[in-house]
Amino acid sequence: MFLALREMRRAKARFGLLMAAVALLVFLILVQQALQASLITSFVGAIERQSAPVLVFSVDGQRALQGSAISPELEEAVRAVPEVAESGRIGQGTFTVEVEGGGDAASGSNGSEAAIIGYEADDLGAPDELSEGRLPEAEGEAVGSAGDFEVGDTVQVVAGDEGPELTVVGLAEDAQIQVSPTLFVAWPDYEAAALADNPDASTIPPSVIGVRPADGVTDEQLTDRINAVDDEADALTRAEAAEEAPGVGEVRMSFQVIFLLFALVVPLVSGLFFLIVTFQKSRSLTLLRAVGASGGVLVRSLLVQVVLVIGGGLLIGTALYALLTLVEVGSLTLRFDIAAVAVWSGLLLLLGLVSALVSARQVLAIDPVEATTGGGVR
Amino acid sequence: MKLALRELRRRPNRFAVATVVLSLIALLLMFLGGLLDGLTAGSTGALRAQQADLIVYSATSDESLERSRLTPEIRAGVESVAGEDAVGGLGTVQLGARLDGRDARDLVPVVLIGYETAPRGLPDEVPGEGEVYADESLRAEGVEEGTTVQLGPARTEVEVIGFLDDSRYSGQGTLWGSLDTWRETVAENRPGEQAGEGVVQALVVQAGDADPAALATEIDEATDGATSTVTVQGAIDALPGVDQQQQVFNQIIGVTVLIAIVVVALFFALITVERTALYGVLKAVGASSLYLFAGVLLQALVVTLLAATVGIAASLAVDALLPAGGIPFVVQPARLIGSVGYLLLAAVIGCALSLRRVLRVDPASAIGG
Repeated sequence: MFLALREMRRAKARFGLLMAAVALLVFLILVQQALQASLITSFVGAIERQSAPVLVFSVDGQRALQGSAISPELEEAVRAVPEVAESGRIGQGTFTVEVEGGGDAASGSNGSEAAIIGYEADDLGAPDELSEGRLPEAEGEAVGSAGDFEVGDTVQVVAGDEGPELTVVGLAEDAQIQVSPTLFVAWPDYEAAALADNPDASTIPPSVIGVRPADGVTDEQLTDRINAVDDEADALTRAEAAEEAPGVGEVRMSFQVIFLLFALVVPLVSGLFFLIVTFQKSRSLTLLRAVGASGGVLVRSLLVQVVLVIGGGLLIGTALYALLTLVEVGSLTLRFDIAAVAVWSGLLLLLGLVSALVSARQVLAIDPVEATTGGGVR
Repeated sequence: MKLALRELRRRPNRFAVATVVLSLIALLLMFLGGLLDGLTAGSTGALRAQQADLIVYSATSDESLERSRLTPEIRAGVESVAGEDAVGGLGTVQLGARLDGRDARDLVPVVLIGYETAPRGLPDEVPGEGEVYADESLRAEGVEEGTTVQLGPARTEVEVIGFLDDSRYSGQGTLWGSLDTWRETVAENRPGEQAGEGVVQALVVQAGDADPAALATEIDEATDGATSTVTVQGAIDALPGVDQQQQVFNQIIGVTVLIAIVVVALFFALITVERTALYGVLKAVGASSLYLFAGVLLQALVVTLLAATVGIAASLAVDALLPAGGIPFVVQPARLIGSVGYLLLAAVIGCALSLRRVLRVDPASAIGG
């Protein structure tokens, strides 16, 4: 232990470089973990946040809120399913808006973009939880995604014809969709915005139908039942709708490949380092064995160094990550995820120790007799 | 130099693990770059394919095709400045496509694009009603020449009469047909988005000999501010997320290069420490510090080149093995060459950190001085 620490003090540059490499890798892994979470929340947060337990898309919508359009026939068929206790229209579109007020969406006042989600019933489409303010009670009122809007902001939908003006009366956390500032409004306001945006539209169909199951029917049973009734219906629970939205799977898969590669680099770098260092110290280690130091003591010394270097790297990497979460990265908010830090710390420490086993094997293979002949590690 | 190469040949094991680590870092760099290129190509192909200099949107659309609407009156204003022959309409709609032999719920997401000015790779003549050209990426879904595709809930039928390359939009394969085909398909499938007679989402403009920037200003003035005219690159930059995506990925790639520098520095610092005594002897018999450092640098470059080769091979394998429609990964020669360049730069910088140690070696140490 004493030797391990002294060696690290005397070879600061070498151990420092390794710690820096581990710290950079940890920093990148944690930032990318946070980016993945933030990206997915920005893609589908509004779906997770809205209150309808089951959403019925049209099969043609490919599980994208904006891509789905419910025909009157499909709407009627869904409402007629006996297991449906309550149903309501939900529509979504992206519009050019001008925002006045203190929210971030106001900073690019002249023509920024916002998604508008319109719903018929509060408990089938409105945000299930507000961080501030209240739900809309009259036409012209909206709940905005927190971070983009502030209560009191006014939002003018800019379109070919005059669009509605909305006042933000409440805020919901993690309620974006398609990485855009998002507003939840009553159905008539959504319809007015869509008609102003496209005066040629003959009708404004709902994007999805929000439904609530009757007593004794689970959400999953209801989705099966609706899907069995009509081939055009694609009913999903709220969690499924968020998880299976276009792009979410690809984002997860891409990041998993990146994480796998980074997770391989950390133990390989530290394993390589300690292997070379062990070879370089072979004469000294042989002498130590010859004067009575046991193999166990030397291996423990090696493992202490591994833990200190990787632990140090984890601390520095986590500190850098924590600093980055204090600033905004583009339109994304990176959150400090303590669970991710814990999981990656445990995993990287374990992988680092496993990678040091090759060096430990070399240490244990030292024959003290070789000290009399000048040999060492075999 | 010979000495450095001979050591590499005679003691390859010493450099093996470093090569493996650098190969992984090379793969990481190329994978990150390929992912960025795939995402960018999938979002911007349809715009890059335009054989035009400018794209005209409605002023209130925030340069979004989906939100832009241009009436025949506005078009007349644009044509009065740019000339009738230099202007072509454009319209898009995202729909699910049904193909024969697939499950009723197994749809292929596509973007139908109506056009008047042929994009790169298509004949000047616009296809007839109900006929479309398909993006090459749709071949992976089983689309062939002569395939009839049913679009949207109304099952609007279009027949594929040919293919064009690299024209994806919004991450989806595209179908290119006439404006009439687009207008009818939208009306049948998306009543909420239908476009009136003569209405288009955007206009593409060929500037000819005119200065595109000046022409853009003239167009917007001629339409009394009803339009927002940008260059094709401007339209690409305005696509939501493209710019941020590139920034984030480039930052990750930058930190990965930094890691490569640290790994090379670490490895060759260790090797230099190990050889201190040997360098003392070599200096004592007349080898200069520069000669010794050149040997270290050569070894670093060889190891890095080897790792880069493994990385390229692995990237090509990943590209071949990834199922179509999964991860948007694209291998581009420029990206691979760029990544190799970054790695070589990392090798040189990383190695330079060992220079001080080589310079400090005292030849007198060879005789115990």
